[in-house]
Amino acid sequence: MSSQEIQFDEILSRYRSDPYEYVDMRAIHTGVVHFLVDEKTEVDAVSGEWKHIPGTALYEINRERNPKKVTSKTNGLVDSIHLELEGKFVEAGEKLLTIRHPLKKKEIIEGILQEVLFLFEAPERARYYFAMDIQSRIEQKGARSVFIQPGDEIITMSLMKRDTPVYYTGDPGIIHSVYFQPGDSVDAGQPLIGVCAEEKLPLVQKVITRVKAEWE
Amino acid sequence: MILRYGAPVGSIVELYPRLDRCMSQLKTMIGDCEDCGDSLAAGTVVIADSLTGSSGRFARKWHAPAGGAWLAVAWPDIFLPEFTRLLPFAVGLACCRTVRHYQIDARLKWVNDIVVSGKKIGGILCETVLSKQGERFHLLGIGINVNNTRFPKGLQNISVSMAELLPGSIERNQFLGRLLAELTLSLGMLHHDEALFLQRVPDGSTKLSGHVMQWWQQLCDSQGRLVVFGHDVQKKPLYQARVTGFDHTGGVVLTLQNGETVVESSGEIRYLDSDCPAESSR
Repeated sequence: MSSQEIQFDEILSRYRSDPYEYVDMRAIHTGVVHFLVDEKTEVDAVSGEWKHIPGTALYEINRERNPKKVTSKTNGLVDSIHLELEGKFVEAGEKLLTIRHPLKKKEIIEGILQEVLFLFEAPERARYYFAMDIQSRIEQKGARSVFIQPGDEIITMSLMKRDTPVYYTGDPGIIHSVYFQPGDSVDAGQPLIGVCAEEKLPLVQKVITRVKAEWE
Repeated sequence: MILRYGAPVGSIVELYPRLDRCMSQLKTMIGDCEDCGDSLAAGTVVIADSLTGSSGRFARKWHAPAGGAWLAVAWPDIFLPEFTRLLPFAVGLACCRTVRHYQIDARLKWVNDIVVSGKKIGGILCETVLSKQGERFHLLGIGINVNNTRFPKGLQNISVSMAELLPGSIERNQFLGRLLAELTLSLGMLHHDEALFLQRVPDGSTKLSGHVMQWWQQLCDSQGRLVVFGHDVQKKPLYQARVTGFDHTGGVVLTLQNGETVVESSGEIRYLDSDCPAESSR
């Protein structure tokens, strides 16, 4: 067994023992906070074809008589909640509650892959599509045969009808995972693509096969 | 102060009888300047009598024969991100106001299509480019149908030129001069709005509000319209909705049939409830 496989075993056993993602919800800005859920409350994620149906309202934050309800982006159970902050003034970024989100097999594979791949993230909340050259190479041969290196123009960011070319800045490799549909709106910091060094590719394929086979 | 902010517009003006694309020429000039250890002057303008390889967004064909106003402006990337996103609005505002100087009831369709009675009279293409030396420029491509009155098939029913709406032809150089003056005002005003924003809200927490967006809203005819929205609305329309407002960042608020609302910060709309026969070409 190679050291890479041993590391993979560790990652897999970590997911086996605790197949959840813990999502911290923090104060979006300063203000007085009022909780709208209790511990162990089940919460729904944002939904709808256009992501237009908000998730469960988690808390309301009021700054200068301007109340704002903050909703859950993910589904799960309220794992812990800082009730001592109820009715108190909080700073931006203060942790208010944690949601325990049960991971599906697909999310586990993605989680493991994201530890192995280089994730190229969206610089701004905008709509993204592949640069024409990359798009035609993907259409011809599939993303996993497209090799990119630093400095390549790979994606176009479109915001308010202004297009900005986005240049790749990570390690050279092939586009293994694509996390957006061309034209999708992607939040800043969310991964756009996962890039895999060519020599790591066999290991990545093994990860996927093994999780698919072993995970119930 | 506003005009001082916008003063670099037209610092260099290059005129060409024919070009492939004005924006491509600006990109070449940025590279040439850097090769000489220099930087392209802010506000450099390239104007062509006609274009042979012009295109709109998503590589759509853009017909640019002699008689029209075809130009591109280079503006250095010195805005805060919140104001960079308003740049396409400022350019659209300048173009719309210039056409309106001629008593034509031009309007803006979100984001910056210039339309008259549902027909497109002008379009704008904004790109942000990174030079080899790492300098970022906004390239503001503008096309306005001034004296060109012949359109190819497919564009005849959806395009219009100023000359078709006025009794005589327009003095093109005068039009271009007015357009550069309006760009000076609009870009200057956007910088001024940014300066006011920084003075008033040092923590950046208050909503953006500025003269550019106020003026833009006064000329925009999208409010209340039934539309189809899409990233590329010609090829892939996504959904129908009604425009019920604009947020403080210029995003269009769309109300779906079930009453839910979606805010879109990019993409295109096509009117469904007007005399507009089809989507515009750029």
